[in-house]
Amino acid sequence: MFSAIARIFRTPDLRRKIGFTLGMVALFRLGSFIPAPFVDFNSVQQCLAATSDTSGLYELVNLFSGGALLQLSIFALGIMPYITASIIVQLLRVVIPHFETLYKEGQSGQSTLTQYTRYLTIALAVLQSTTLITVARSGALFGSSGGPACTQLLTNDAWYAIMLMVLTMTAGTGVIMWMGELITERGVGNGMSLLIFTSIAAMFPNSLGRIAASKGWGTLAIVIAIGLVVVAAVVFVEQSQRRIPVQYAKRMVGRRTYGGNNTYIPIKVNMAGVIPVIFASSLLYLPALIAQFNQPAPGQEPQPWVLWVTANLTGGGQPLYMALYFLLIVGFTYFYVAITFNPEEVADNMKKYGGFIPGIRAGRPTAEYLDYVLTRITLPGALYLGIIALLPLVAFSAVGADQNFPFGGASILIIVGVGLETVKQIDSQLQQRHYEGLLR
Amino acid sequence: MQVVLGLTSLLLTMLILLHKGRGGGLSDMFGGGMTSNLGASGVAERNLNRITVILGLVWVSSIIVLGLITKFDTGL
Repeated sequence: MFSAIARIFRTPDLRRKIGFTLGMVALFRLGSFIPAPFVDFNSVQQCLAATSDTSGLYELVNLFSGGALLQLSIFALGIMPYITASIIVQLLRVVIPHFETLYKEGQSGQSTLTQYTRYLTIALAVLQSTTLITVARSGALFGSSGGPACTQLLTNDAWYAIMLMVLTMTAGTGVIMWMGELITERGVGNGMSLLIFTSIAAMFPNSLGRIAASKGWGTLAIVIAIGLVVVAAVVFVEQSQRRIPVQYAKRMVGRRTYGGNNTYIPIKVNMAGVIPVIFASSLLYLPALIAQFNQPAPGQEPQPWVLWVTANLTGGGQPLYMALYFLLIVGFTYFYVAITFNPEEVADNMKKYGGFIPGIRAGRPTAEYLDYVLTRITLPGALYLGIIALLPLVAFSAVGADQNFPFGGASILIIVGVGLETVKQIDSQLQQRHYEGLLR
Repeated sequence: MQVVLGLTSLLLTMLILLHKGRGGGLSDMFGGGMTSNLGASGVAERNLNRITVILGLVWVSSIIVLGLITKFDTGL
Protein backbone atom coordinates (compact mmCIF):
# COMPACT_ATOMS: atom_id res chain seq x y z
CA MET A 1 0.00 0.00 0.00
CA PHE A 2 2.57 2.53 1.09
CA SER A 3 5.06 1.42 -1.52
CA ALA A 4 2.34 1.95 -4.10
CA ILE A 5 1.92 5.53 -2.87
CA ALA A 6 5.66 6.03 -3.16
CA ARG A 7 5.51 4.66 -6.69
CA ILE A 8 2.86 7.24 -7.61
CA PHE A 9 5.36 9.96 -6.91
CA ARG A 10 8.16 8.18 -8.71
CA THR A 11 6.15 8.11 -11.94
CA PRO A 12 6.81 11.49 -13.52
CA ASP A 13 3.59 11.63 -15.52
CA LEU A 14 1.36 10.77 -12.61
CA ARG A 15 3.30 13.07 -10.31
CA ARG A 16 2.71 15.99 -12.64
CA LYS A 17 -0.99 15.19 -12.92
CA ILE A 18 -1.50 14.96 -9.18
CA GLY A 19 0.51 18.14 -8.64
CA PHE A 20 -1.64 19.99 -11.16
CA THR A 21 -4.83 18.78 -9.48
CA LEU A 22 -3.66 19.79 -6.02
CA GLY A 23 -2.59 23.21 -7.28
CA MET A 24 -5.99 23.84 -8.85
CA VAL A 25 -7.76 22.74 -5.68
CA ALA A 26 -5.57 25.11 -3.67
CA LEU A 27 -6.43 28.00 -6.03
CA PHE A 28 -10.11 27.14 -5.69
CA ARG A 29 -9.97 27.24 -1.91
CA LEU A 30 -7.96 30.48 -1.97
CA GLY A 31 -10.55 32.14 -4.19
CA SER A 32 -13.32 31.17 -1.78
CA PHE A 33 -11.80 33.50 0.77
CA ILE A 34 -11.46 36.60 -1.40
CA PRO A 35 -14.51 38.75 -0.73
CA ALA A 36 -16.38 40.16 -3.70
CA PRO A 37 -15.96 43.91 -4.24
CA PHE A 38 -18.08 46.23 -2.08
CA VAL A 39 -18.64 43.54 0.52
CA ASP A 40 -17.96 44.63 4.07
CA PHE A 41 -15.64 41.83 5.11
CA ASN A 42 -15.73 42.62 8.84
CA SER A 43 -19.49 42.64 9.23
CA VAL A 44 -19.81 39.45 7.19
CA GLN A 45 -17.38 37.74 9.54
CA GLN A 46 -19.30 39.06 12.57
CA CYS A 47 -22.55 37.73 11.19
CA LEU A 48 -21.01 34.35 10.42
CA ALA A 49 -19.84 34.11 14.01
CA ALA A 50 -23.23 35.22 15.34
CA THR A 51 -25.28 32.72 13.39
CA SER A 52 -23.45 29.51 14.12
CA ASP A 53 -25.98 27.27 12.42
CA THR A 54 -26.73 28.11 8.84
CA SER A 55 -30.39 28.63 8.24
CA GLY A 56 -31.84 25.56 6.58
CA LEU A 57 -32.77 27.46 3.47
CA TYR A 58 -29.24 27.89 2.17
CA GLU A 59 -27.83 24.78 3.74
CA LEU A 60 -27.41 22.69 0.61
CA VAL A 61 -26.18 25.52 -1.57
CA ASN A 62 -23.74 26.61 1.09
CA LEU A 63 -22.55 23.02 1.40
CA PHE A 64 -21.74 22.84 -2.30
CA SER A 65 -19.79 26.08 -2.24
CA GLY A 66 -17.78 25.08 0.82
CA GLY A 67 -19.09 27.92 2.96
CA ALA A 68 -18.11 30.49 0.36
CA LEU A 69 -21.73 31.47 -0.26
CA LEU A 70 -22.35 33.02 3.12
CA GLN A 71 -18.98 34.77 2.97
CA LEU A 72 -20.08 36.48 -0.24
CA SER A 73 -16.74 35.69 -1.84
CA ILE A 74 -15.96 35.85 -5.55
CA PHE A 75 -16.54 32.11 -5.80
CA ALA A 76 -19.74 32.39 -3.77
CA LEU A 77 -21.87 30.41 -6.18
CA GLY A 78 -19.42 27.54 -6.39
CA ILE A 79 -20.28 24.77 -8.81
CA MET A 80 -23.98 24.86 -8.02
CA PRO A 81 -24.92 26.61 -11.31
CA TYR A 82 -23.01 23.98 -13.27
CA ILE A 83 -24.70 21.14 -11.39
CA THR A 84 -28.12 22.68 -11.93
CA ALA A 85 -27.37 23.30 -15.61
CA SER A 86 -26.25 19.73 -16.22
CA ILE A 87 -29.28 18.34 -14.42
CA ILE A 88 -31.53 20.54 -16.56
CA VAL A 89 -29.81 19.53 -19.81
CA GLN A 90 -29.97 15.88 -18.85
CA LEU A 91 -33.67 16.11 -18.06
CA LEU A 92 -34.40 18.04 -21.25
CA ARG A 93 -33.20 15.00 -23.16
CA VAL A 94 -36.52 13.39 -22.29
CA VAL A 95 -38.52 16.42 -23.39
CA ILE A 96 -36.69 17.77 -26.44
CA PRO A 97 -36.04 15.21 -29.22
CA HIS A 98 -33.17 17.35 -30.60
CA PHE A 99 -31.18 16.80 -27.39
CA GLU A 100 -31.80 13.06 -27.51
CA THR A 101 -30.49 12.82 -31.08
CA LEU A 102 -27.45 14.89 -30.09
CA TYR A 103 -26.83 12.56 -27.17
CA LYS A 104 -26.98 9.48 -29.38
CA GLU A 105 -24.73 11.05 -31.98
CA GLY A 106 -21.63 10.20 -29.98
CA GLN A 107 -18.60 12.34 -29.39
CA SER A 108 -19.49 15.43 -31.43
CA GLY A 109 -23.13 15.56 -30.34
CA GLN A 110 -22.18 15.21 -26.72
CA SER A 111 -19.68 18.03 -26.94
CA THR A 112 -22.49 20.21 -28.34
CA LEU A 113 -24.56 19.24 -25.32
CA THR A 114 -21.65 20.17 -23.04
CA GLN A 115 -21.47 23.52 -24.78
CA TYR A 116 -25.20 24.08 -24.10
CA THR A 117 -24.58 23.19 -20.48
CA ARG A 118 -21.83 25.81 -20.28
CA TYR A 119 -24.05 28.57 -21.70
CA LEU A 120 -26.83 27.58 -19.34
CA THR A 121 -24.36 27.67 -16.45
CA ILE A 122 -23.46 31.28 -17.14
CA ALA A 123 -27.14 32.23 -17.45
CA LEU A 124 -27.94 30.52 -14.17
CA ALA A 125 -24.93 32.18 -12.55
CA VAL A 126 -26.25 35.63 -13.51
CA LEU A 127 -29.64 34.70 -12.10
CA GLN A 128 -28.35 33.23 -8.85
CA SER A 129 -25.80 35.96 -8.18
CA THR A 130 -28.48 38.61 -8.68
CA THR A 131 -30.71 36.79 -6.20
CA LEU A 132 -27.91 36.36 -3.70
CA ILE A 133 -26.85 40.00 -3.85
CA THR A 134 -30.42 41.25 -3.60
CA VAL A 135 -30.97 39.10 -0.53
CA ALA A 136 -27.68 40.29 0.98
CA ARG A 137 -28.59 43.91 0.25
CA SER A 138 -31.95 43.65 1.97
CA GLY A 139 -30.22 42.12 4.99
CA ALA A 140 -32.17 38.87 4.94
CA LEU A 141 -29.19 36.64 4.18
CA PHE A 142 -28.52 35.73 7.78
CA GLY A 143 -32.14 35.74 8.92
CA SER A 144 -33.26 37.70 11.90
CA SER A 145 -30.73 36.29 14.36
CA GLY A 146 -27.74 38.21 13.11
CA GLY A 147 -28.08 41.58 14.78
CA PRO A 148 -27.65 45.07 13.36
CA ALA A 149 -24.34 44.45 11.58
CA CYS A 150 -25.96 41.92 9.26
CA THR A 151 -28.20 44.42 7.56
CA GLN A 152 -25.16 46.40 6.39
CA LEU A 153 -23.28 43.80 4.40
CA LEU A 154 -22.49 46.00 1.42
CA THR A 155 -20.43 49.16 1.55
CA ASN A 156 -22.00 50.60 -1.54
CA ASP A 157 -25.44 49.73 -2.85
CA ALA A 158 -25.66 51.99 -5.87
CA TRP A 159 -26.83 50.29 -9.06
CA TYR A 160 -23.38 50.15 -10.67
CA ALA A 161 -21.90 48.48 -7.62
CA ILE A 162 -24.61 45.81 -7.72
CA MET A 163 -23.98 45.34 -11.44
CA LEU A 164 -20.27 44.97 -10.83
CA MET A 165 -20.83 42.38 -8.09
CA VAL A 166 -23.11 40.34 -10.33
CA LEU A 167 -20.52 40.48 -13.11
CA THR A 168 -17.72 39.45 -10.76
CA MET A 169 -19.60 36.50 -9.30
CA THR A 170 -20.63 35.32 -12.77
CA ALA A 171 -17.03 35.47 -13.93
CA GLY A 172 -16.06 33.59 -10.75
CA THR A 173 -18.48 30.80 -11.61
CA GLY A 174 -17.00 30.69 -15.10
CA VAL A 175 -13.49 30.43 -13.68
CA ILE A 176 -14.55 27.55 -11.43
CA MET A 177 -16.08 25.78 -14.40
CA TRP A 178 -12.89 26.21 -16.39
CA MET A 179 -10.75 24.98 -13.49
CA GLY A 180 -12.91 21.88 -13.26
CA GLU A 181 -12.46 21.23 -16.96
CA LEU A 182 -8.72 21.74 -16.73
CA ILE A 183 -8.52 19.18 -13.94
CA THR A 184 -10.50 16.71 -16.02
CA GLU A 185 -8.19 17.32 -18.96
CA ARG A 186 -4.77 17.43 -17.35
CA GLY A 187 -5.20 16.17 -13.83
CA VAL A 188 -6.59 13.12 -12.10
CA GLY A 189 -10.26 12.31 -11.83
CA ASN A 190 -13.27 14.31 -12.86
CA GLY A 191 -12.62 17.99 -12.15
CA MET A 192 -16.14 19.08 -11.28
CA SER A 193 -16.72 16.31 -8.80
CA LEU A 194 -13.28 16.85 -7.25
CA LEU A 195 -14.14 20.50 -6.68
CA ILE A 196 -17.42 19.51 -5.02
CA PHE A 197 -15.48 17.02 -2.94
CA THR A 198 -13.10 19.78 -1.80
CA SER A 199 -15.92 22.11 -0.87
CA ILE A 200 -17.66 19.49 1.21
CA ALA A 201 -14.49 18.24 2.86
CA ALA A 202 -13.58 21.82 3.73
CA MET A 203 -16.73 22.08 5.84
CA PHE A 204 -15.83 19.03 7.96
CA PRO A 205 -13.31 20.47 10.44
CA ASN A 206 -15.58 23.43 11.05
CA SER A 207 -18.70 21.48 11.86
CA LEU A 208 -16.78 18.85 13.84
CA GLY A 209 -15.23 21.62 15.91
CA ARG A 210 -18.68 23.08 16.49
CA ILE A 211 -19.98 19.76 17.76
CA ALA A 212 -16.97 19.44 20.06
CA ALA A 213 -17.47 22.94 21.38
CA SER A 214 -21.18 22.59 22.04
CA LYS A 215 -21.55 18.97 23.10
CA GLY A 216 -18.13 17.96 24.41
CA TRP A 217 -15.51 15.51 23.19
CA GLY A 218 -17.53 12.40 24.08
CA THR A 219 -20.24 13.25 21.58
CA LEU A 220 -17.59 14.09 19.00
CA ALA A 221 -16.07 10.62 19.41
CA ILE A 222 -19.50 9.01 18.98
CA VAL A 223 -20.16 11.12 15.90
CA ILE A 224 -16.83 10.15 14.33
CA ALA A 225 -17.42 6.47 15.12
CA ILE A 226 -20.87 6.57 13.53
CA GLY A 227 -19.35 8.38 10.58
CA LEU A 228 -16.74 5.69 10.00
CA VAL A 229 -19.36 2.94 10.17
CA VAL A 230 -21.53 4.82 7.68
CA VAL A 231 -18.59 5.35 5.33
CA ALA A 232 -17.82 1.61 5.42
CA ALA A 233 -21.47 0.82 4.71
CA VAL A 234 -21.61 3.29 1.83
CA VAL A 235 -18.43 1.90 0.27
CA PHE A 236 -19.89 -1.60 0.58
CA VAL A 237 -23.15 -0.70 -1.13
CA GLU A 238 -21.50 1.46 -3.78
CA GLN A 239 -19.21 -1.41 -4.80
CA SER A 240 -21.90 -4.06 -4.85
CA GLN A 241 -23.30 -5.06 -8.18
CA ARG A 242 -25.18 -7.85 -9.84
CA ARG A 243 -23.28 -9.46 -12.68
CA ILE A 244 -25.47 -10.72 -15.47
CA PRO A 245 -23.43 -13.23 -17.46
CA VAL A 246 -23.12 -12.64 -21.18
CA GLN A 247 -21.81 -15.19 -23.62
CA TYR A 248 -20.36 -13.98 -26.90
CA ALA A 249 -20.52 -16.26 -29.88
CA LYS A 250 -17.27 -17.06 -31.65
CA ARG A 251 -17.06 -15.38 -35.03
CA MET A 252 -14.56 -15.71 -37.83
CA VAL A 253 -13.85 -12.51 -39.74
CA GLY A 254 -11.27 -13.21 -42.40
CA ARG A 255 -8.53 -15.17 -40.61
CA ARG A 256 -9.16 -13.75 -37.17
CA THR A 257 -11.46 -15.08 -34.46
CA TYR A 258 -13.53 -12.68 -32.48
CA GLY A 259 -15.53 -13.20 -29.33
CA GLY A 260 -16.20 -16.55 -27.81
CA ASN A 261 -15.61 -15.23 -24.32
CA ASN A 262 -17.64 -14.88 -21.17
CA THR A 263 -18.26 -11.43 -19.76
CA TYR A 264 -20.94 -9.88 -17.62
CA ILE A 265 -23.03 -6.74 -17.50
CA PRO A 266 -22.47 -5.13 -14.12
CA ILE A 267 -25.68 -3.68 -12.69
CA LYS A 268 -24.89 -1.62 -9.64
CA VAL A 269 -27.25 -1.64 -6.70
CA ASN A 270 -27.10 2.11 -6.55
CA MET A 271 -26.96 3.03 -10.18
CA ALA A 272 -28.33 6.53 -9.75
CA GLY A 273 -25.58 7.82 -7.47
CA VAL A 274 -26.30 10.94 -5.46
CA ILE A 275 -28.41 12.66 -8.06
CA PRO A 276 -31.81 11.62 -6.60
CA VAL A 277 -30.79 13.10 -3.25
CA ILE A 278 -29.85 16.38 -4.89
CA PHE A 279 -33.11 16.43 -6.86
CA ALA A 280 -35.24 15.70 -3.83
CA SER A 281 -33.64 18.32 -1.63
CA SER A 282 -33.79 21.01 -4.27
CA LEU A 283 -37.45 20.22 -4.92
CA LEU A 284 -38.32 20.29 -1.21
CA TYR A 285 -36.53 23.59 -0.94
CA LEU A 286 -39.14 25.24 -3.18
CA PRO A 287 -42.07 25.46 -0.68
CA ALA A 288 -39.79 27.03 1.91
CA LEU A 289 -38.60 29.52 -0.68
CA ILE A 290 -42.15 30.45 -1.68
CA ALA A 291 -43.12 30.85 1.97
CA GLN A 292 -40.09 33.08 2.44
CA PHE A 293 -41.25 35.37 -0.34
CA ASN A 294 -44.78 35.54 1.08
CA GLN A 295 -43.78 36.69 4.54
CA PRO A 296 -46.25 39.39 5.64
CA ALA A 297 -45.27 42.93 6.47
CA PRO A 298 -44.48 43.46 10.16
CA GLY A 299 -47.58 43.69 12.31
CA GLN A 300 -49.79 41.74 9.95
CA GLU A 301 -51.10 38.25 10.40
CA PRO A 302 -49.44 35.77 7.98
CA GLN A 303 -51.68 33.74 5.72
CA PRO A 304 -52.66 30.30 7.07
CA TRP A 305 -50.92 28.35 4.30
CA VAL A 306 -47.65 30.16 4.94
CA LEU A 307 -47.88 29.16 8.58
CA TRP A 308 -48.63 25.57 7.58
CA VAL A 309 -45.65 25.45 5.21
CA THR A 310 -43.24 26.84 7.78
CA ALA A 311 -44.58 24.41 10.38
CA ASN A 312 -44.46 21.30 8.21
CA LEU A 313 -42.10 21.62 5.25
CA THR A 314 -39.08 23.69 6.17
CA GLY A 315 -36.88 21.78 8.53
CA GLY A 316 -35.36 18.43 9.30
CA GLY A 317 -37.26 17.42 12.46
CA GLN A 318 -40.72 17.52 10.94
CA PRO A 319 -42.26 14.08 10.19
CA LEU A 320 -44.04 15.22 7.05
CA TYR A 321 -40.81 16.65 5.65
CA MET A 322 -38.93 13.43 6.38
CA ALA A 323 -41.64 11.26 4.81
CA LEU A 324 -41.82 13.41 1.69
CA TYR A 325 -38.04 13.49 1.40
CA PHE A 326 -37.84 9.71 1.57
CA LEU A 327 -40.63 9.17 -0.96
CA LEU A 328 -39.17 11.71 -3.38
CA ILE A 329 -35.76 10.07 -3.21
CA VAL A 330 -37.21 6.62 -3.92
CA GLY A 331 -39.22 8.01 -6.81
CA PHE A 332 -36.35 9.95 -8.30
CA THR A 333 -34.04 6.93 -8.05
CA TYR A 334 -36.36 4.93 -10.30
CA PHE A 335 -36.80 7.91 -12.60
CA TYR A 336 -33.08 8.53 -12.96
CA VAL A 337 -32.19 4.87 -13.46
CA ALA A 338 -34.82 4.74 -16.20
CA ILE A 339 -33.15 7.71 -17.88
CA THR A 340 -29.58 6.47 -17.67
CA PHE A 341 -29.92 2.76 -18.38
CA ASN A 342 -31.96 1.73 -21.36
CA PRO A 343 -32.46 -2.08 -21.42
CA GLU A 344 -33.64 -2.11 -25.02
CA GLU A 345 -30.52 -0.31 -26.20
CA VAL A 346 -28.26 -2.71 -24.29
CA ALA A 347 -30.16 -5.72 -25.64
CA ASP A 348 -29.88 -4.35 -29.18
CA ASN A 349 -26.16 -3.81 -28.84
CA MET A 350 -25.66 -7.30 -27.51
CA LYS A 351 -27.59 -8.76 -30.40
CA LYS A 352 -25.49 -6.77 -32.86
CA TYR A 353 -22.24 -8.22 -31.54
CA GLY A 354 -23.53 -11.75 -31.17
CA GLY A 355 -23.90 -11.79 -27.41
CA PHE A 356 -26.63 -13.42 -25.35
CA ILE A 357 -27.52 -14.13 -21.79
CA PRO A 358 -27.49 -17.91 -21.28
CA GLY A 359 -31.02 -19.26 -21.22
CA ILE A 360 -32.65 -16.15 -22.65
CA ARG A 361 -33.32 -15.41 -26.28
CA ALA A 362 -31.70 -12.37 -27.85
CA GLY A 363 -33.77 -9.30 -28.64
CA ARG A 364 -36.94 -8.46 -26.79
CA PRO A 365 -36.84 -11.23 -24.16
CA THR A 366 -33.36 -10.03 -23.20
CA ALA A 367 -34.58 -6.46 -22.82
CA GLU A 368 -37.47 -7.67 -20.68
CA TYR A 369 -35.15 -9.73 -18.52
CA LEU A 370 -32.74 -6.82 -18.04
CA ASP A 371 -35.65 -4.55 -17.14
CA TYR A 372 -36.92 -7.11 -14.62
CA VAL A 373 -33.51 -7.43 -12.93
CA LEU A 374 -33.00 -3.68 -12.95
CA THR A 375 -36.36 -2.92 -11.37
CA ARG A 376 -35.80 -5.43 -8.61
CA ILE A 377 -32.24 -4.39 -7.82
CA THR A 378 -33.12 -0.71 -7.75
CA LEU A 379 -35.54 -1.22 -4.87
CA PRO A 380 -32.85 -1.85 -2.21
CA GLY A 381 -30.75 0.85 -3.87
CA ALA A 382 -33.56 3.39 -3.55
CA LEU A 383 -34.30 2.43 0.05
CA TYR A 384 -30.60 2.69 0.87
CA LEU A 385 -30.37 6.17 -0.65
CA GLY A 386 -33.41 7.28 1.31
CA ILE A 387 -32.04 5.93 4.59
CA ILE A 388 -28.61 7.47 4.06
CA ALA A 389 -30.19 10.82 3.24
CA LEU A 390 -32.44 10.69 6.30
CA LEU A 391 -29.50 9.87 8.54
CA PRO A 392 -28.53 13.45 9.44
CA LEU A 393 -32.14 14.26 10.28
CA VAL A 394 -32.45 11.24 12.55
CA ALA A 395 -29.06 11.85 14.13
CA PHE A 396 -30.10 15.39 14.79
CA SER A 397 -32.89 14.30 17.08
CA ALA A 398 -31.08 11.30 18.58
CA VAL A 399 -27.63 12.61 19.55
CA GLY A 400 -28.77 16.20 19.80
CA ALA A 401 -25.90 17.08 17.50
CA ASP A 402 -25.85 20.01 15.17
CA GLN A 403 -28.14 20.21 12.16
CA ASN A 404 -24.98 20.31 10.06
CA PHE A 405 -24.11 16.78 11.06
CA PRO A 406 -21.37 16.13 8.55
CA PHE A 407 -21.73 12.38 8.04
CA GLY A 408 -24.91 12.00 6.19
CA GLY A 409 -27.08 12.71 3.27
CA ALA A 410 -25.72 13.99 0.06
CA SER A 411 -22.29 14.88 1.44
CA ILE A 412 -21.21 11.38 2.42
CA LEU A 413 -22.41 9.87 -0.84
CA ILE A 414 -20.49 12.47 -2.83
CA ILE A 415 -17.34 12.12 -0.73
CA VAL A 416 -17.25 8.33 -1.02
CA GLY A 417 -18.28 8.28 -4.67
CA VAL A 418 -15.71 10.82 -5.79
CA GLY A 419 -13.00 9.32 -3.61
CA LEU A 420 -13.54 5.82 -5.01
CA GLU A 421 -13.63 7.09 -8.57
CA THR A 422 -10.42 9.09 -8.24
CA VAL A 423 -8.53 6.27 -6.55
CA LYS A 424 -9.68 3.91 -9.30
CA GLN A 425 -8.39 6.28 -11.94
CA ILE A 426 -4.98 6.63 -10.28
CA ASP A 427 -4.95 2.87 -9.94
CA SER A 428 -5.54 2.28 -13.62
CA GLN A 429 -2.79 4.78 -14.45
CA LEU A 430 -0.40 2.84 -12.22
CA GLN A 431 -1.35 -0.45 -13.78
CA GLN A 432 -0.68 0.91 -17.24
CA ARG A 433 2.98 0.89 -16.25
CA HIS A 434 2.87 -2.72 -15.02
CA TYR A 435 2.88 -1.72 -11.41
CA GLU A 436 0.76 -3.20 -8.74
CA GLY A 437 -2.09 -0.80 -8.01
CA LEU A 438 -3.41 0.79 -4.86
CA LEU A 439 -6.45 -1.43 -4.72
CA ARG A 440 -6.22 -5.14 -4.17
CA MET B 1 -10.41 50.31 -11.32
CA GLN B 2 -14.10 49.47 -11.33
CA VAL B 3 -14.22 49.83 -15.10
CA VAL B 4 -11.24 47.48 -15.41
CA LEU B 5 -12.96 44.93 -13.21
CA GLY B 6 -16.20 45.16 -15.16
CA LEU B 7 -14.43 44.77 -18.50
CA THR B 8 -12.23 41.88 -17.36
CA SER B 9 -15.22 40.07 -15.86
CA LEU B 10 -17.14 40.29 -19.10
CA LEU B 11 -14.14 39.29 -21.22
CA LEU B 12 -13.24 36.42 -18.91
CA THR B 13 -16.75 35.00 -19.13
CA MET B 14 -16.66 35.26 -22.93
CA LEU B 15 -13.23 33.62 -23.16
CA ILE B 16 -14.22 30.76 -20.93
CA LEU B 17 -17.28 30.14 -23.06
CA LEU B 18 -14.99 29.99 -26.08
CA HIS B 19 -13.12 27.02 -24.65
CA LYS B 20 -14.09 23.59 -25.73
CA GLY B 21 -15.99 21.89 -22.98
CA ARG B 22 -14.43 18.79 -21.49
CA GLY B 23 -16.09 16.11 -19.50
CA GLY B 24 -19.72 15.50 -20.25
CA GLY B 25 -22.34 16.31 -17.71
CA LEU B 26 -23.47 14.58 -14.60
CA SER B 27 -23.29 10.97 -15.56
CA ASP B 28 -19.54 10.79 -15.18
CA MET B 29 -19.60 13.39 -12.45
CA PHE B 30 -20.84 11.21 -9.62
CA GLY B 31 -19.33 7.86 -10.37
CA GLY B 32 -19.83 5.72 -13.40
CA GLY B 33 -18.99 6.21 -17.00
CA MET B 34 -15.55 6.22 -18.45
CA THR B 35 -13.76 9.49 -19.02
CA SER B 36 -12.15 9.39 -22.39
CA ASN B 37 -8.89 11.19 -22.83
CA LEU B 38 -9.23 13.31 -25.90
CA GLY B 39 -5.56 13.75 -26.60
CA ALA B 40 -3.59 16.95 -26.90
CA SER B 41 -5.27 20.27 -27.54
CA GLY B 42 -4.47 22.36 -30.58
CA VAL B 43 -2.46 25.54 -30.91
CA ALA B 44 -5.54 27.75 -30.81
CA GLU B 45 -6.65 26.17 -27.57
CA ARG B 46 -3.18 26.63 -26.07
CA ASN B 47 -3.11 30.32 -26.96
CA LEU B 48 -6.63 30.68 -25.59
CA ASN B 49 -5.46 29.10 -22.36
CA ARG B 50 -2.59 31.56 -22.08
CA ILE B 51 -4.82 34.58 -22.68
CA THR B 52 -7.39 33.31 -20.22
CA VAL B 53 -4.78 32.80 -17.51
CA ILE B 54 -3.39 36.32 -17.98
CA LEU B 55 -6.88 37.82 -17.96
CA GLY B 56 -7.72 35.82 -14.86
CA LEU B 57 -4.68 37.24 -13.08
CA VAL B 58 -5.72 40.80 -14.01
CA TRP B 59 -9.23 40.03 -12.81
CA VAL B 60 -8.14 38.71 -9.41
CA SER B 61 -5.67 41.55 -8.84
CA SER B 62 -8.25 44.20 -9.71
CA ILE B 63 -10.66 42.63 -7.21
CA ILE B 64 -7.97 42.68 -4.54
CA VAL B 65 -7.00 46.29 -5.32
CA LEU B 66 -10.64 47.32 -5.23
CA GLY B 67 -11.09 45.55 -1.89
CA LEU B 68 -8.06 47.33 -0.46
CA ILE B 69 -9.33 50.68 -1.71
CA THR B 70 -12.72 50.23 -0.07
CA LYS B 71 -11.05 49.06 3.13
CA PHE B 72 -8.54 51.87 3.60
CA ASP B 73 -10.14 54.79 1.86
CA THR B 74 -13.78 55.18 2.79
CA GLY B 75 -13.90 58.72 1.50
CA LEU B 76 -13.45 57.68 -2.11
